[in-house]
Amino acid sequence: MTQVQTEHAPHIEYAAPPPRTGWRRWAFGPGWPRAVWMTPLFYFIGAGIVVFFRWIAGYEPLWDWEPITVVGALTSAPLGFLAGLGAFDYWLYYLSGKPTRPEDHSGHGARTWTDYFRVNTDHKVIGIQYVTTTIFFFLAGGLMAMLVRAELAQPGMQFTDTQTYNQLFSVHASLMIFLFVIPAFAGLANFVLPLMIGAPDMAFPRLNALSYWLLPIAGIMMLSSFAVPGFGAGWTNYVPLAESQPWGNVFFSMAVQWAGASSIMTALNFLVTIITMRAPGMTFWRMPLLVWANFTTSLLVVLATPFIAGSQFFVMFDRVLHTNFFNVAGGGYPLGYQHIFWFYSHPAVYIMILPGFGIISEVISTFSRKPIFGYRLMALSLVAILILGFSVWAHHMFVSGMAPWLRVPMMITTLLIAVPTGIKVFSWLATTWEGRIHLRAPMLWALGFLTMFVIGGLSGIFLGAVPIDIHASDSYFIVAHIHYVLLGGSLFTIFAGIYYWFPKMTGRMYDERLAKVHFWITFIAFNITFFPMHIIGLQGAPRRYADLGEKYGDWNLVISIASFFLGASFILFVYNMVVSWTRGPIAEANPWRGRTLEWQVSSPPPIFNFDEIPQVVGNPYEYGVPGARHAVLNGDRAAEPERVPAE
Amino acid sequence: MRRGAIVRLVTLGVVLGLGATALAIFIPWLPEASSDQAEEIDFVFWFTTAICIGIFSVVAAIAIYSVMKFRVPLDDEEDGLPIHGHTGIEIVWTAVPFLLVTAIGVVSAVALARNDRLPADHMVVNVLGRQFAWQFMYPPDNAPAPPKDELECDQQAVKSRCLTSTQLHLPLDVPVELRMRADDVIHSFWVPQFRQKQDMLPDQVTKLIITPTKVGKYEVLCTELCGLGHSVMRSAAIVSSRADFDRWKREAGKQNAPGGGANAGEAVFSQNGCGSCHTLKAAGATGTVGPDLDKLSDEAQKAGKPVEAFVRESVVNPGAYVQPGFPNNVMPKTYASLPKQQLDALVQYLVQSSQGGSSR
Repeated sequence: MTQVQTEHAPHIEYAAPPPRTGWRRWAFGPGWPRAVWMTPLFYFIGAGIVVFFRWIAGYEPLWDWEPITVVGALTSAPLGFLAGLGAFDYWLYYLSGKPTRPEDHSGHGARTWTDYFRVNTDHKVIGIQYVTTTIFFFLAGGLMAMLVRAELAQPGMQFTDTQTYNQLFSVHASLMIFLFVIPAFAGLANFVLPLMIGAPDMAFPRLNALSYWLLPIAGIMMLSSFAVPGFGAGWTNYVPLAESQPWGNVFFSMAVQWAGASSIMTALNFLVTIITMRAPGMTFWRMPLLVWANFTTSLLVVLATPFIAGSQFFVMFDRVLHTNFFNVAGGGYPLGYQHIFWFYSHPAVYIMILPGFGIISEVISTFSRKPIFGYRLMALSLVAILILGFSVWAHHMFVSGMAPWLRVPMMITTLLIAVPTGIKVFSWLATTWEGRIHLRAPMLWALGFLTMFVIGGLSGIFLGAVPIDIHASDSYFIVAHIHYVLLGGSLFTIFAGIYYWFPKMTGRMYDERLAKVHFWITFIAFNITFFPMHIIGLQGAPRRYADLGEKYGDWNLVISIASFFLGASFILFVYNMVVSWTRGPIAEANPWRGRTLEWQVSSPPPIFNFDEIPQVVGNPYEYGVPGARHAVLNGDRAAEPERVPAE
Repeated sequence: MRRGAIVRLVTLGVVLGLGATALAIFIPWLPEASSDQAEEIDFVFWFTTAICIGIFSVVAAIAIYSVMKFRVPLDDEEDGLPIHGHTGIEIVWTAVPFLLVTAIGVVSAVALARNDRLPADHMVVNVLGRQFAWQFMYPPDNAPAPPKDELECDQQAVKSRCLTSTQLHLPLDVPVELRMRADDVIHSFWVPQFRQKQDMLPDQVTKLIITPTKVGKYEVLCTELCGLGHSVMRSAAIVSSRADFDRWKREAGKQNAPGGGANAGEAVFSQNGCGSCHTLKAAGATGTVGPDLDKLSDEAQKAGKPVEAFVRESVVNPGAYVQPGFPNNVMPKTYASLPKQQLDALVQYLVQSSQGGSSR
């Protein structure tokens, strides 16, 4: 084993926030007051630039609200907001040659609750900011799903008109994907990952803070598309429909850019952190699987996300700049949109599940009190999914009219991706075998994930087979499939992760009984909601219909009622979180007797995580191996002889 | 592993497998197969289902057995057996799924190749999708092959000899090639009983092969989100015996012939699918996506225009006046390309029907 000696700069003193005195500091120092006046200022600057150039060029009408909104409200106002909060202060000081204070840690860590509303460079604070923000958007998106189900409960149109209906399911999907699943994983990993690899923080803490603050911008942009009105072309936003939508569509195009920028910056941060900041002795083959999962996910994000950014820019340019990327009359190529879009959005489904795989590996190993079965193959299967994931995008396009010869090769790669996924499922099952299973809430969610994700994976095999897909695509079978992999899959892993690390994040215990009730209501209501969708889909119910008619009336009523229970179950979750965070019993440092590094420090962890950088001496999951250690902490290195457990 | 454990595990797996099989058999998963292509697709479906039931039973049995057998009280302090892996087992669960998905892939590729085969003695139907209506056109037998990305009936010389219908009529057991195109946004043609589905694009012609095998009336659905009226973009596929089909074709041909007066207007109204979005009592249309055409004269007054000019403008350039409560850019602008004769007939028909209530 090679010993990596890192020179760690000692953190001498971190000063308390400088006292805020005087109205100048209040109005011009970084913070909300400055954000409140800088946001409109930047809006007017952006709008002014547009109007000025339109005036110079003599374009009519001078006040064209579409470009003014794109530049002023959707681009420069958010920049003003970020600058006002202070996200760029350090860099601007540096650029302008003013003295910077690298050892000023006043923006690091949370001393009071208001510190969560600032540009904070502590990965633990950012992790919590991420998780709470994403839960807010999860509830908003869930509420839209409730409205969709209310409309579909009875044949005919009752509550919404079709424009509102289309907007509801479009924004529902966009929020759940871009503002919940992807960033919730980024948030959990933000909190846990540096701890797990023995690092004091992420590699780029200021970039980390900036990536978080892009999220609320993207979310508010998606939500405000309702006001324009707007965006009802589905989260896939296919052209030419997207280009003939009301211009709220540009809100989606720009929100994707902000959320995408956030994802890419976080992924870069994870990559650099994992590569350069592992504690001495933490080789790649000693990393916990959550770290492996986020390593592969981050590679996916960095490589794939620019494609959706491009696809949405092109759609927006076609509208606003009158380009002809996809405009048929100008020689554009609508199918090209789908290829670019799915070249991101297929890898995106792995972006939305691989971090969950990582969480499940941690939870199942800890609560089965057993090492992960086949650790190396588990890590390698993540890499296999990463590579194969880039070669399957056209399976979303089997009926799109693309070149017919492309179908069979894409079917083969799609079906092959079941192999590494199968390896993971079987390895988890083998990990529980002969274990000592503690059926706590995180473990319940993990087992729920395991079974539900298998159902979602199997329906994925149906859809991977071209002839079946020709019948089932764009039907409710697809809706069932995506909810089994994204709700029964990703969401269950997010809950497993939140309950698992809740004591570490907050320093308090959640209510175990309430958590179990939450699980069972969600699990049962989820299945009653989404399993029948397989049936009505194959029988001939197309997705995205505002009215499915009498034929599926009975099933739709059952589905809607179950979905309301599903929605209500999350009230229990929120209640449990809020009450436990404020009044729950104090948590021990290691309530689950976990072996990875985050459990070896206090709950919540000290501000720079480790008083001394730990020395990693063994594998992370050596449950039941006598005398095995993962790491040595706090100077007792000399006292403990290094033991390498037998493989 | 002890023998008792294996017996119990296998029993659990068999019970779960039987349960899943019962679900597969007793729930009517698929509508009745009504085309040759559906038979092929259904075979792939049941082949895949059998494999998936097997996999699901194994996973569920192990998960349930593990939880029941290895669960300990929460205050238990011991660890499980430190098993790190087993190369043999890992090879098995890599190789077996590989073989299973390969089998599914082969069966699928064969079915796909067979369904893509077009016999020489086939019939051609042109399908045109527009927001939010279907148009089916039957080119004459001697129609010349159209240029790439065009339908037979797109050619001026052929157009007037094409039989046009809003419903898809098909003769039994005759292979038919649907040659399809969209007018505005992407639509998708699906008849669940035929199992066949294909998107329709505005810039290229896509094809679908169907050989109907059962007489009946089936729903045609649009399955690609195409805007506000997506869920009303439905029609019917009517499969009848060859003799009945020929009779329909003859009679429809007579009605289709250019005539004069309100009757011709009514034909234009129904052939272009106006009724899927608009209400018009005279035509028995009850659509609600667009404005109610029985109230045309009121709206003309509000727009401050004579009724006839108002109607003509609204057909040709729907954005000129948008009735409050209805969003702009929903109605296709493609009706501007209707032949003048048809447009005149349509306008006359709309004016008369809306003023007289029923002018028939």
